Amino acid sequence: MTGADLLLLALGAVAVGAGLLVVTTRHLVRAGLYLVVCLAAVAGLYLVLTAELVAWVQVLIYVGAVVVLLLFAVMLTRAPIGASDDLDRPGWPAALVGGGAGLGLAVLLVDAFRWSTVELPEAGTAERLGAIVFGSWVLPFELLSVLLLAALIGAIVLSRPEIGASPEEERR
Amino acid sequence: MTEIGLPPINYGAITPMLILFGASCVGVFVEAFVPKAQRHLVQLVLSLGAITAALVTVVWQADTRTVTAGGAIAIDGPTLFLQGAILVLGVVSILLIGERSLERGGPFVAQAAIVVGSDADRNQTVRQPGATDIYPLSLFALTGMLLFVAANDLLTMFIGLEVLSLPLYLMCALARRRRLLSQEAALKYFMLGAYASAFFLFGLALVYGFTAGTPSGSGDNGGGVDFATIAAAVRNSEVSPALLYAGIALIAVGLLFKAAAAPFHVWTPDVYQGAPTPVTGFMAACTKVAAFGALLRVLHVAFGGASWAYTPVLGAVAALTMLVGAVLAVTQTDIKRLLAYSSVANAGYLLVGALAVNKQGLASTMFYLVAYGFTVLAGFAVVTLVRDADGEATHLSRWAGLGRRSPLFAGVFTFILLAFAGIPVTSGFTSKFAVFGAASGAGHTWLVVVGVLSSMILAFPYLRVVVMMWLSEPGESTPSVLVPGGLTAAALTIGVAATLVLGVAPESLLDLTNRAAEFVP
Repeated sequence: MTGADLLLLALGAVAVGAGLLVVTTRHLVRAGLYLVVCLAAVAGLYLVLTAELVAWVQVLIYVGAVVVLLLFAVMLTRAPIGASDDLDRPGWPAALVGGGAGLGLAVLLVDAFRWSTVELPEAGTAERLGAIVFGSWVLPFELLSVLLLAALIGAIVLSRPEIGASPEEERR
Repeated sequence: MTEIGLPPINYGAITPMLILFGASCVGVFVEAFVPKAQRHLVQLVLSLGAITAALVTVVWQADTRTVTAGGAIAIDGPTLFLQGAILVLGVVSILLIGERSLERGGPFVAQAAIVVGSDADRNQTVRQPGATDIYPLSLFALTGMLLFVAANDLLTMFIGLEVLSLPLYLMCALARRRRLLSQEAALKYFMLGAYASAFFLFGLALVYGFTAGTPSGSGDNGGGVDFATIAAAVRNSEVSPALLYAGIALIAVGLLFKAAAAPFHVWTPDVYQGAPTPVTGFMAACTKVAAFGALLRVLHVAFGGASWAYTPVLGAVAALTMLVGAVLAVTQTDIKRLLAYSSVANAGYLLVGALAVNKQGLASTMFYLVAYGFTVLAGFAVVTLVRDADGEATHLSRWAGLGRRSPLFAGVFTFILLAFAGIPVTSGFTSKFAVFGAASGAGHTWLVVVGVLSSMILAFPYLRVVVMMWLSEPGESTPSVLVPGGLTAAALTIGVAATLVLGVAPESLLDLTNRAAEFVP
């Protein structure tokens, strides 16, 4: 067992443990913070697998943007900061489904690969990733901007009151 | 520093998508710069013009057979036929969306941000013209649908799925009347849709794992998610097939959700009921074509070699879908929910055709998609016409006696319902006949038996509505049937005419589907 294997195992354990804490804690804010640990551990996994750019993107987008968004949502909706009892209701159906799905997938993957080894492709540097994204995957990449534009317009349509309406008109 | 090489892109092949995308961007600018009074007309003309132009380019390249843009897009017979179908049905949907004479300001809310039930909301319900952002959103959705049926790898397909879904979620939330119901529908659709997308992504990851060690198009042995590589891996991969089966199952969950097949149909009645009726028609017609187009390509091209493995499972899903749709349609008391369950049952019939993994199955499924799309659009067009002071009267009890009050529209709706029930001389009969023929040709006799049985169950709710319309006396509360404005009249005429023509003389379209029914490898 090499050092990389040990590191993968340790980071995996951290990710799973933090993930468990996310769903079992009674504090909404702490759940968000445990999510940071979980996602950062996943970023560490990417790093061990030499996918450096993916790791940093994971840190930037998930640890940075998504969790911050989550905390903002908690703040803006005036959700309780302390322990909330309704987060502690018996979750055995969810535990059953989640645990079942997790175990099932684990068995599936372990059974599929057993001890077979897959050669790691060359390191996932930013250069290589960029060449692929702007090479063979350029059309899907550009189409993602269509998706972002549609989402942007949708957000405006759903949330913007009429510009230029007088306050009186708005009250009426 | 390596030189970044752009893959050769056949711009002709992606022109329809580019036209629609460009038009939706122009539409956004129209929202910003054109005065409010003229926006609706400008947007309507722009959308209709763009869809027509895209349709012309699709027809123009009818003989193109190519894989382009680094293997992301496949242009072949099914792609072009389904893109054409989506665009034609899209024109009809835009006609319904653009109707403004039935209700002051049209069927869409002016400002979705205003709190439901406030004074400002009551004011905007009766006074303000509806938001015209709906046009760019529908063009975005259509762009996504064109991409979805053309995608030649799972990643592009996933992006197409998102591009078509996101605008649809938003469009569901924009009803002018019964806004809470509409917003609930949108939220439900969004949540469950995001969940289904996650299944698709996980399936994609598993299939990618399965292709490990298979030479891909780009030359290395790292596998890939394009359909040619997957098909090669299905033929001779040394990785355990359990990964493949799990991958197919998860991808199918994502696609069947969009297609509204049981047991992934639970969103359908609520969303169909809550969404503004023109948007419901758009979803029932165009989204169904797109979802089944993608499903056909995945089942035929990528996983065709494993059809013996997925046919029993998906066959059970098809049987369940037909039965659930038919049985639950019997219990409905709301016309939009009834049509929603009918759409679930029709997803089952389509799946029966799609599971016949041969040319005949492909051709008959494509024919069914077009025929059903026209009929369902005409059906929802009639639903928009039956109104009282509070908007559309969708409860079935209100439709009693409608035949006395407005024989013409009750007659038209009767014809549409008979088409849904699959009576001869309507397109419903020809299309059901075609898919059942293909299924029995492929040896799936038991699916045909379930299909015929469920059609018989499904005929009951349709006929009940017909009897109610014609044999009851109109009461005090029977709503009036409005005289449709030009746009709805046009949509209704196109839908009914297509239903009749495809029932009486289906040869030319059947011929077209037969000629188109071949995927590029």
